[in-house]
Amino acid sequence: MEGMVRLSFYLFAAASIAVAAAWVCYMVYAVGFIRLRRTALATSTGMTVTGSSTEHVPGPMSAARFGSLFGWFAAVFAGLSVLTRAIASHRGPYSNMYEFSLAFVFVLTLAYMLFERFYNVRQLGAIVMTIALGMCLYLWSLPPRMREVDALNPALQNRPLMTLHVSAAIVAYATFAVSFAAAILFLIQLRKNVSWLPSAEMLDDIGFRAVTIGFPMLALVLILGSIWAHQAWGAYWSWDPKETAALFTWLVYGVYLHTRSLRGWRGQRSAIILLIGFVAVGFTYYGNYFFGGMHAYGGVN
Amino acid sequence: MAQATLEKRGFRNSPLETIVDRIWRFFCSVRAAVVEIAILAVLVLIGTLRGSSVPRWIADAIPATEGIVDRWYGWDVFHSMPFMLILAILTIAITVCTLNRAPGIWRTINEPTISTTRGFIRNADVSANATIAQPVESSLDAFTTSLKKKRYRVLSEEHGDAVHVYADKNRWAKLATFPFHLALILILIGGIVGARYGFKENEFIIPEGSVRDVGHGTGLSVKLDQFSDSWREDGTAASYRSDLVLYENGEEVKRDSITVNNPMSYGTTTFYQTSYGQAAQMRITDLDGNVLYEDATELGIYRSSTNPDAPAGIITLPQSNLRLNVIAPDEDRANAPMLDTLNLESGQMYVQIRGTGPDAGAEMQDAVLVQGVPQEINGIVVEFQRETRFTLLQVASNPGIPIFWAASFLLVGGLFATFYFPHRRIRAILDRSGEPGVTQIALAPLAKRDWSGQKDFRGVVEDLQRRLQTDFVVNERASTYLERPAKPASNSA
Ligand code: HEM
Repeated sequence: MEGMVRLSFYLFAAASIAVAAAWVCYMVYAVGFIRLRRTALATSTGMTVTGSSTEHVPGPMSAARFGSLFGWFAAVFAGLSVLTRAIASHRGPYSNMYEFSLAFVFVLTLAYMLFERFYNVRQLGAIVMTIALGMCLYLWSLPPRMREVDALNPALQNRPLMTLHVSAAIVAYATFAVSFAAAILFLIQLRKNVSWLPSAEMLDDIGFRAVTIGFPMLALVLILGSIWAHQAWGAYWSWDPKETAALFTWLVYGVYLHTRSLRGWRGQRSAIILLIGFVAVGFTYYGNYFFGGMHAYGGVN
Repeated sequence: MAQATLEKRGFRNSPLETIVDRIWRFFCSVRAAVVEIAILAVLVLIGTLRGSSVPRWIADAIPATEGIVDRWYGWDVFHSMPFMLILAILTIAITVCTLNRAPGIWRTINEPTISTTRGFIRNADVSANATIAQPVESSLDAFTTSLKKKRYRVLSEEHGDAVHVYADKNRWAKLATFPFHLALILILIGGIVGARYGFKENEFIIPEGSVRDVGHGTGLSVKLDQFSDSWREDGTAASYRSDLVLYENGEEVKRDSITVNNPMSYGTTTFYQTSYGQAAQMRITDLDGNVLYEDATELGIYRSSTNPDAPAGIITLPQSNLRLNVIAPDEDRANAPMLDTLNLESGQMYVQIRGTGPDAGAEMQDAVLVQGVPQEINGIVVEFQRETRFTLLQVASNPGIPIFWAASFLLVGGLFATFYFPHRRIRAILDRSGEPGVTQIALAPLAKRDWSGQKDFRGVVEDLQRRLQTDFVVNERASTYLERPAKPASNSA
């Protein structure tokens, strides 16, 4: 490996460690303690009924603070890893799944940390960092040859468009991951009314705000992708499975945005659509594994 | 609009009116829109999975689904009736919905209802009230100044002892929903226009030095001035370039070099570099010296049955009812003599001539040409002048492109305005009914279940507090999501 590429790899390793550490901290904070409460109740007939209920006590706030600290480390290391690799390869992170996923870890951690700052809530960390950790493990599972920087297939050589197209996709997917985390907590909040979680209103707002970034970004992905397809293949839209998968994802979020103006739908059902949307994101992301078609180059087939 | 409907209800509608009204309301309904978009999404999903191995997995897991899976793979969803139908329904819905909403939104922007009720403020998710030690007029001034600093427009109205205030900001961004939704229709229109009036030619070949017509009613023709390529050390092509000259109705209109990923566009027609190959510059005359053909013939497009690996091409001479097969030397020496039966040398070209007229037989004449030496065969004189190359281009014309670009800007711009310039509204009542010279103020945002809107409102209240030197009481309701219908009296133990 060339020096810069090696440096990028070490930075990725550091980012993975930071993500793992952040995940542990956020988990400790979120899982906390589950306290079993036994209660004895006297009934009017003079019998005593014992009941038990569980009570959730959040973990120490200090764990969450460490989570944030490691989260920032993860974002910075992953960012530097993407940057050094871009310097070495003179292009954006789009040649294979390794580069794409590395950039995703960076944007995901960064987007989450920014949301955390803006809303001053740390409870989403447990979910977002689980996704980030999963991505890191996926990155480690990829064949090591992908960590090298290869010459590029001429069809992928349109740099500015490709970089914009892929960057928009990464931002969209990262913000959808944040909205997914918010939707999960929202659904928990609706059922359990957990006092240490952010209010349902705030969780709903986080989910919506994240989508207001992701939805236009995904629209941009589709548009830039088709402009690029026009230049590379002479066709704007070829009903390629990866294109239509992204369109499907976009439509799911379109449904979500409309449900927000339906009184009976806003809330629980909207949140469920956010979950479906994120499944669609995963499906689009890993589509290379089961689609043929023009996007099959990602280095995994 | 609301009034119009009210008046209408006084009369009995004819059945036709009722039906039209029903259909109209169906298309206006956001609930129906949700269902329509969901159906579209499901169709897109079915079409997407068709391009994957997922249905196969299903068939492998549940053998009973074999038949359905086969039909699934066979169904071209994106060109099917149901798909077109749902697109049509959505288009109508967006149009109708736009027409239906426009007047209401226009009124919200230009003539909003200013008066409000105490009940509205009391029942809001968040509200604030205070007693200001100033008469209503100066309180209103201070209130207005404070809101204007925050970019709010402030409208007020006297209602007896009280002044009602309506304040909003980003009201124009409400219009952004129209360009956005219309952009969706424009994209469809662009697609239809492109499919109907566009064309795509995957194998447009121009030998070096030749001119070829684009056809399809464009009046365009292209000349390949020069073709050049560069190679990597490992023998793979690093890049290749065609220098093109474009003519429209015979006039030169453009000159450009294209490479893979750097096409040339003129109007709605675009030329893409795809590939290249070998060509032979040929000159054919009749026995009197009249030129029948003088052009480069692309080789390698056809394959000769006698010499399968040798690049071959075809020249047709419709005036003379003749067809020439041109075969170049086989580049792979190892093919001789089994596959390469002709065993041509470099600088030679083999031609077969056959008649194409109705009374033409199967007999053929052939000859081996030597570069630069005209030779008479079957009443014509054929000369192989030199080897050249041809470029293989893709030509696509999509008159939908400008529509598509316009749609893209409307779409992204519309979303941007909608999402990042949310319409914020606040209602207030300034009341002078209490002590003289004192104002009772109560205000609330129109921000039901809208955390951001409520946060924005708190900012407004804080600002007021500072400006008016008055303490405000902020009333918040607990989460309205968690409010459940009242339970029957609990059966406490
Ligand atoms: C594929 C089709 C469609 C897509 C992708 C789409 C997308 C969107 C988006 C992104 C918004 C903005 C949401 C927001 O402001 O929070 C929106 C709002 C809206 N759409 Fe659509 N839309 C589609 C079709 C329709 C149709 C057919 C109708 C008419 C029945 C419709 C009616 C509305 C309305 C009334 C709003 C405003 C909702 C509000 O004020 O909260 N849309 N749509």
